[in-house]
Amino acid sequence: MSVDTDTDADEEPAGTEATAGDSDVVLEAEDLEVSYGKVTALRGLDVTVSEGEIVSLIGPNGAGKTTFCNTASGFLDYGGSVRYRGQEVARVGQTELVDRGMVHCTEQRDLFGYMDVEDNLGLGGYLRDDEVIEERKEFVYELFPRLDERREQNARSMSGGEQQMLAVGRALMGDPDLLILDEPTLGLAPVILQDIAEALAPIVERGVTVLLTEQNVTFALKHADRIYLLENGEAVREGTPDELKGDDYIRESYLGG
Amino acid sequence: MVLGEILTATGTAIFRSALYAIIAIGFTLIFGVGGILNFAHGAFITVGMFAAFLATSDVFLISLPIWVGLLAGTGAGALLGAVTYVGIIRYVRDRPVTVLILTFVIGFFLIYGIRIWVQGIDNIEALSIPVPQVMGTDFLNNVFILVTSWLLIGLLFYFVNYTRTGRAIIAVSQSDKGAALVGIDAEKINLVTWTVAGAFAGYAGVLLAGAYGSGSWLMSIQPPAPLILSFAIVILGGLGSIKGSIAGAYIIGFVETFAVNFVPGGQQLAGVSSLVLLVVFLLVKPEGLFGRGTSE
Repeated sequence: MSVDTDTDADEEPAGTEATAGDSDVVLEAEDLEVSYGKVTALRGLDVTVSEGEIVSLIGPNGAGKTTFCNTASGFLDYGGSVRYRGQEVARVGQTELVDRGMVHCTEQRDLFGYMDVEDNLGLGGYLRDDEVIEERKEFVYELFPRLDERREQNARSMSGGEQQMLAVGRALMGDPDLLILDEPTLGLAPVILQDIAEALAPIVERGVTVLLTEQNVTFALKHADRIYLLENGEAVREGTPDELKGDDYIRESYLGG
Repeated sequence: MVLGEILTATGTAIFRSALYAIIAIGFTLIFGVGGILNFAHGAFITVGMFAAFLATSDVFLISLPIWVGLLAGTGAGALLGAVTYVGIIRYVRDRPVTVLILTFVIGFFLIYGIRIWVQGIDNIEALSIPVPQVMGTDFLNNVFILVTSWLLIGLLFYFVNYTRTGRAIIAVSQSDKGAALVGIDAEKINLVTWTVAGAFAGYAGVLLAGAYGSGSWLMSIQPPAPLILSFAIVILGGLGSIKGSIAGAYIIGFVETFAVNFVPGGQQLAGVSSLVLLVVFLLVKPEGLFGRGTSE
């Protein structure tokens, strides 16, 4: 384990203390290990996400960010522990996690390509009742007016940025308590990036906790409350954006000196 | 005179195509939702036929009416589809080659099982297993097939497009991961799909055997060879498209009927035209009429 706690001025309780009955903790990984065959993707990772926070995982390709997202949302087997609202995710199960409010918006987006915007959003609310679906749809269309203009358009014929909005919108339809956004800005034009960034505040205002992975360190530093820097499946730095901006290693390796 | 022949052939073709559509739909469903080519499809059809035979014959001293046989065949198909999925396929559904081999093996087990039950270990002839047709005359029976074919297709369309489970089926067919992300239980959806597909296959088996007067343990590869037929229909229509399969069924039904009636020596062409169309489409338009292309 090499989480750098020296720079951590937060009052985050470390590791084990946070486990029992701490209702403020939404997601907590402890000593998390994940491998694909012989390749180890996460080695002893500790991550805590508390209510109302935007926590960002940053780091280069292959650092384990996406693996962490997939593990947290119940898609991968793991060693160690990762708990959502105090319960081990492996025991809850992937579908049930969605029902309990952990909604994952993947890097590949995984939209229903041959369905239009309306149908994609409708299915996003698959586990919710009609009232929630209607109310959520309005929220999503307000958040992303571009989607409103393209209600009848098939997902696969939309631009990358529009697809990303639809993916985020579909995730919001699931009435998330914890929203996992995996690389939402990857490959997007700056204008679209701005649209996505502007959507974050209203989402958090609704009481949604956000876990955001980013290769775009500047974006993460600007929008996250706390950040973990992952390298080779380990968290090598952790702290608030201000703390990390002052960190020599981050400045040199990720912010161009 | 020629016009009369054409009209008669058209009528025959319409009836035949309606039956072909029912035969192919189960195969399409399973491919469309799970990406699985179910080589046991022909065996499911055979089991449907056999269940109807058991219900209507005096083997168990029951000799029930064919209506009950129709239900028995459909039910047996549904049960078989469900058991195949729950018992075997769901453990291997991420391994396409294993699934392919297993559906082959399951198919063999089923039809050889029926052979041994009916005619013992040693006799490999395709002895006739009599199944009555549903209606008293050929014409009425054809009308029955035509009407129920469209009725079932209509119900399937309604189910898939307008019910919650149906929407989930479409979701899984377009993106497994996407479906999981919105909280759809793919296990449940696959089970529903295999059950419905099995029911269609069983129903088709009873109607097919009834229309021909009998079935046999080899019926899945004997004219009109429902397994190969399903393949051809589904390739023509576009793998996984229900609409496409119906179009494919009618194209093959018509081409076959007209080849048999109007091409000299056409009787020999009965089972061949579907194969010819299959090859042509694979070469010229591999994505089929309603195919989604190679992107998914």
